[in-house]
Amino acid sequence: MKVVDIAIEKLKEAPWNPNRMDEGMLRKLRASVEKYGIVHNLVVRPLGEDDYEVLSGNQRLKVLQEAGFSQVPCVIVEADDARARVLSQALNRIRGEDDLGMRAELLRDVLAAMPADEVVKILPETPESLAAATSLGQESLVDSLRAWENTKGARLHHCTFQLTSSQIEVVEKALTRVLPQARQAKGDSPNDRGTALYILCQSYLKKGGSR
Amino acid sequence: MTSAASVKVSTASVQGAGAGSSPSAALQSIEVTPLPWAAAKAVVKQNHYLHSMPGGTCLAFGAFVGVRLLGALTLGAGPRNAPSLVAGAEAGDCLTLTRLWLSDDLPRNSESRVIAVVLRSLRQHTSIRFLLSYADPSQGHVGTIYQATGWLYTGLSAVMPLYDLGDGVARHSRSVGHSFGSHSVAHFQRHGVPVKLIPQAAKHRYIHFVDPDWRERLLVPVLPYPKKGANP
Repeated sequence: MKVVDIAIEKLKEAPWNPNRMDEGMLRKLRASVEKYGIVHNLVVRPLGEDDYEVLSGNQRLKVLQEAGFSQVPCVIVEADDARARVLSQALNRIRGEDDLGMRAELLRDVLAAMPADEVVKILPETPESLAAATSLGQESLVDSLRAWENTKGARLHHCTFQLTSSQIEVVEKALTRVLPQARQAKGDSPNDRGTALYILCQSYLKKGGSR
Repeated sequence: MTSAASVKVSTASVQGAGAGSSPSAALQSIEVTPLPWAAAKAVVKQNHYLHSMPGGTCLAFGAFVGVRLLGALTLGAGPRNAPSLVAGAEAGDCLTLTRLWLSDDLPRNSESRVIAVVLRSLRQHTSIRFLLSYADPSQGHVGTIYQATGWLYTGLSAVMPLYDLGDGVARHSRSVGHSFGSHSVAHFQRHGVPVKLIPQAAKHRYIHFVDPDWRERLLVPVLPYPKKGANP
């Protein structure tokens, strides 16, 4: 296997490559290339007389083109269409799964040496997901359960009804009429429609219902 | 991979005592900590035999040894029929142990240790009164871990059949109810939707009273534990 520097204009994106990267992720890839340069060879196969099709590194190719690189180090393989596709999938899809606890420790080590905003420029994480990932295994069981218990009083109860279209029309009409009153009501529930339903039922009961 | 976990407790009051009288050093090295929902989902989807995170998950815990995350336990909302099992119970009194996965890298009896820590923590820091859990005999499960940790066996629970609405997809009744507002077969028939019911095997139901004072409220008989290999 040889690594060869190939002129970037000779490298062609594989039209069959299913991998797509949104602009946010491309930005991170750009930042990585800017910071570290080309540290990962592209894998290509000959295409026609003088061109090459990229089997692995199609997203990097875009970034390198934008960044003005003229030469790119590539590994050249000979492969027919089927083998090229399989190799491409193998290179991009075969990977292990992170132990999330170990990854959290790794990220904590990184954050001890680098500011978070610099890390999120390069890694797929957002500031929020980075904070969540690094907190793994660090939270107190007792504090967490106490906090969960404390939220119990704030939980509203779901009350689910299944209605036909014509039934819901009637219910909506009634709720809409009561909504202004519900918005004025000082109660425990911040949910106006729930309060409107409560007012309707309370009023019905006060009138004696269908007893 | 087993369905057990190893646990290390983060505070002496919660994790100090194990499932047995003196948990081994290996078991004591397991730490149980809260697990964010997304992390619990990733672990469960990757490792649990059902490869799915149940809806309605309320609490999730991770089992760590050092920095390695080697297990997860999830608790979901209690069943609607909780009051028919325990007198005076309301939905908020009960949770269901929905997933437990522990890596084979953990020592034996880790399941008991993890469950013991979680139960003790719930008793000390929440108002949860009891837990339910189910073991699926169609997977060869009889609830060994619940038997080992002293849960009460209450027999086979009725299980709703799966629904095929004419497209060959087997759906859980809860999913059908969520999507269509009803899982009434008559309702679908009235609207010309063909329904094929796919029977599911009943599951072994276990109950554990986090609050031992609630034990006397149990409304269903406690039965002998089912044995592995015996027909349910």
